[in-house]
Amino acid sequence: MTVDGSTQEPLRILPVGDDPGPTPAETGLEGERLRELYRLMAFVRAADAEATALQRQGELAVYPPLLGQEAAQVGSAFALDPDDWVFPGFRDMGPALVRGIDLAEYLDFDRTIWHGGSYDPVAHRFAPQCVPVASQILHAVGYAIGTKLDRRPSAVLTYFGDGATSEGAFHEGCNFAGVFGAPVVLFCQNNQWAISVPLDHQTHGAIAGKAAAYGFPGVRVDGNDVLAVHRATAEALARARHEGVPTLIEAVTYRLGPHSTADDPTRYRSAEEVARWEARDPIRRYRRWLGAAGVAGEAFFDAVEEAARALAEDLRGKVTASRPHPVEDLFAWVYAEIPESLARQRDEAVRLAAEGAAGAGEGGRRG
Amino acid sequence: MAVRDFLLPDLGEGLEDAEVARWLVAEGDRVERNQPLAELNTAKALVEVPSPYAGVVVRRHAAEGELVKVGAPLVSIEEGAEGKASGDGASAGPARPAVLIGSGPTGAGETVRPRVGAEVRPHGGPDRGPVPASPPIRRLAKELGVDLRAVTGTGPGGRVTREDVTGAAAGTRAAAPAAPAATGAGAGPRVARAMPVRGTRRIIAERLTRSVREIPQATTFLTLDATILEAYRREVGAEAGRPLGPLPVLVRALAGICGTFPELNASFEAGRGEIVLYADVNVGIATDTDRGLVIPVVRGAGDRGVLDVAAEIARLAEAARDGTIAPADLAGATITVTNVGSFGAEFGTPVIDPPQAAILALGAVAPRPLVVDGAVVARPAATLGLTFDHRVLDGAEAGRALAALVEILQDPFKLGALPR
Amino acid sequence: MAELTMAGALNAALRDAMRGDARTIVLGEDVGRLGGVFRVTDGLLSEFGGERVIDTPLAEGGIAGVSIGLALAGWHPVAEMQFDAFSYPALDQLISHAAHYRFRTRGRMTVPLVVRIPYGGAIHAAESHSDSPEAYYAHTAGLKVVVPSSPADAYGLLRAAVADPDPVIFLEPKSRYWTRGEVEPGAGAEPIGRATIVRPGQDCTVVAYGAMIARALGAAEAAAKEGISVEVLDLRSLVPLDLEALAASVRRTGHAVVVHEAQMTGGFGAEIVARLVEDAFDYLEAPVARVTGYDTPYPPSSLEDHWLPSADRILAAVERVVAY
Repeated sequence: MTVDGSTQEPLRILPVGDDPGPTPAETGLEGERLRELYRLMAFVRAADAEATALQRQGELAVYPPLLGQEAAQVGSAFALDPDDWVFPGFRDMGPALVRGIDLAEYLDFDRTIWHGGSYDPVAHRFAPQCVPVASQILHAVGYAIGTKLDRRPSAVLTYFGDGATSEGAFHEGCNFAGVFGAPVVLFCQNNQWAISVPLDHQTHGAIAGKAAAYGFPGVRVDGNDVLAVHRATAEALARARHEGVPTLIEAVTYRLGPHSTADDPTRYRSAEEVARWEARDPIRRYRRWLGAAGVAGEAFFDAVEEAARALAEDLRGKVTASRPHPVEDLFAWVYAEIPESLARQRDEAVRLAAEGAAGAGEGGRRG
Repeated sequence: MAVRDFLLPDLGEGLEDAEVARWLVAEGDRVERNQPLAELNTAKALVEVPSPYAGVVVRRHAAEGELVKVGAPLVSIEEGAEGKASGDGASAGPARPAVLIGSGPTGAGETVRPRVGAEVRPHGGPDRGPVPASPPIRRLAKELGVDLRAVTGTGPGGRVTREDVTGAAAGTRAAAPAAPAATGAGAGPRVARAMPVRGTRRIIAERLTRSVREIPQATTFLTLDATILEAYRREVGAEAGRPLGPLPVLVRALAGICGTFPELNASFEAGRGEIVLYADVNVGIATDTDRGLVIPVVRGAGDRGVLDVAAEIARLAEAARDGTIAPADLAGATITVTNVGSFGAEFGTPVIDPPQAAILALGAVAPRPLVVDGAVVARPAATLGLTFDHRVLDGAEAGRALAALVEILQDPFKLGALPR
Repeated sequence: MAELTMAGALNAALRDAMRGDARTIVLGEDVGRLGGVFRVTDGLLSEFGGERVIDTPLAEGGIAGVSIGLALAGWHPVAEMQFDAFSYPALDQLISHAAHYRFRTRGRMTVPLVVRIPYGGAIHAAESHSDSPEAYYAHTAGLKVVVPSSPADAYGLLRAAVADPDPVIFLEPKSRYWTRGEVEPGAGAEPIGRATIVRPGQDCTVVAYGAMIARALGAAEAAAKEGISVEVLDLRSLVPLDLEALAASVRRTGHAVVVHEAQMTGGFGAEIVARLVEDAFDYLEAPVARVTGYDTPYPPSSLEDHWLPSADRILAAVERVVAY
């Protein structure tokens, strides 16, 4: 028995082997836009590597690397309009970079400076990072319904992974999106592994195929093909904005690194498998095409590499300079107006902090 | 350039240590930032640790196979001069200790800072736990000065009732305010203010409660004809060039009496079944201050001259009143004197400061009608009250001691014999 | 003055709120065409249309999550959970998101959401239709928890909840839906966070909320015949809690009995008792008693009369406490 969608060939634009692939004109993107896609992917990779190193050096509490998913993240976010909203998960620094978010403010989440990150979500139309898997899908759908009620021609895009498609919130989100014609794009980065559980333990069917049951298109795309991802997302966003048709996109990609810096993927998957996917590296693949198609040359790639290094350097400086907020901040945004009992607790915490009584004892951090 | 210690961060979530599986650099090697230094085995994963600094490895702090604690140095690196500008002014070492921000058992918050202020004393006595009584009854007992442990509860399960407390107050204190007769809920007296008992007040309350509870004490009085004493202190004061009050003279004389009546300068040690007599006479001087009663100690009063005692009392009183007194000046009294006359009282029935055996109250020195040679004449006089621990000495002995003290203070020769 | 049932008062509050604010919308299962299983949203669909009175798919987690998204988009959703025990699938959204969004974004994104939940027993219902889930919500920092006991309060407090900038869990005592009471037409919002003395007394305070107020008043009436003067304090709002009113009443009476129909262990009554110990310890003439549902699952309703705090059980507790 074949399950609908499970064997659907993913949308692909970039060549896999020696095939020359499309001409630049066939991509529908101008040269500068094509180069920008590369630049963004290279930047994300450098920032991701720096963040991983910063965690190993004690500057971040934890970090979920996105290595290998640059095309899926950058290609999709690159298709957004400025007015569109993004509801991310927690492994989505790529879209954050594309949206112009200061990555140190993004990483303040992982530095445990503040939940969700320190960036202004409203200014960037980029919701705070969200940990409970799939729960953000419902916010995106609700936001999209609200947008539709307001008759605003903009869309909402939400990121999640293959593991999220097992959650009730995913199915409820799809269902609400379908029923209400929410202008939303449900973007699944199928990176094959939910920590240690492989896709075939996550679902017996196909991810993109699930959309059929909810009455809207499901699109399978090569998630390591930045042009294909971009095209699929742009089309989905247009359907959302103009027709009120949601789309489920399954970007087939691979998480080359651990689930997080606290994970050890060698316990659950083979080096051969990782090597197979390393061979499909989305950045090398795109670079090869850019060069072959004459869109960019070595000088460009060298300049990007240099700029990426500077970006990582700058990121390191900002991350390590980021400091915890004063303890009274804990109480400032629980409610619009602080209740009496909470004010009592705040006063105690502030007093103890002033006395230096909190945070360290003998043998503790300051010891 | 500076040598930087790279302290092992928590590489997982809440890990405590890691084992060096393999060094990837040797001492003396030049490393770039983010160059892998070592592979570490944590409880969760094999992890490659990149260098936070560019420079030369000057020390590896553990051998392969050794455990490194989170927060301990893993490697020391001398930041190289020739490396490209690291631009990490802000990252001059982890801002925090090596343990990761918000992650890992740092011990922070688990240790208790040294407490300042009074030590916490358990409320229950050594013999039994708290007496059953509802909170308002406890408050009432406190207000009326009733020790709940001395009250037999007549309520269910031996609970102390309002009547028990008011009854006890009426029985032990004739002057206690009449207890409210009404017993219904909410029918008690209207409360103007309830003040928490803290600090000095609490310490005094606890010590004196213990005194009254544990020490069977009695007070004996004698009136002192202070004519000679007044003349003596004026004369000595004039010679010394500073006024001399009656208190230092009394203290010095009392110290002498303690040689004759050692039970005054003693303590009853119930736990050991002993009466301990002290060789030193350390006289506590009850002193009224803004913070309440403070009792500084004149040490070795028996070995001091009268003027020395006077100077010491002055020094102690000043320190007590401005709050600068050293704890050592407040400890070790073997007997206490309270000058109730200093605020005009004619006499006092002082309460012993445990574990001492006696306390002497000096009433105001003022002209009083005394019978001298069969005639009533006005003389400067003062009443001395000596409260003593009846377990240590009996009334006769205490009376004799007080009489001997008065005799010294009334006798010009004996007074004159006191070392000045 | 108009005499309304509580359901009618809630309906009026929603209607008035929606008339006053075009961004207030109602959503939930059966809230449109049917007007809600308790008819609280009756007639709203015809007045405000399907874009503002939205029948949703049958998924409470989805209703909560989508409502959060709507609130983030600038709408003021009033979501209905059909019954108390059906709200549990929504806990993830309410706890991890509705309650945290303001905090997580340092005030830049907020969730002005009302979640209406008919709660409590005594309606002879089948399983999962009679729970009292207030403690789960009250324990969650960032949520407000409001429980009216009368039609007038239902109206005023729901108006306040809809206008509130924070997420409010609005628990409606479903056994009181059809009880009539005076409601001022067009009365405004009743501030959230203030308890009210529904019957003054001197000897003992009965602290209660929601459906238990009626039973507390019954017990107070019976106590009065025995010469015990009982004060009944209606908390109305569990979060924020009116600490001042709570302590003031018990400082006056010296005795307290706390009543709720939720199970005892870890119930909101424990919080009330703790506050009394902290704020009124010196005035407590007797231990504070709790009269609550027993620590069993909500019973089959053929046994619910044994399980729910009755006026008799409350009275017995009052007598015990006063005679202490």
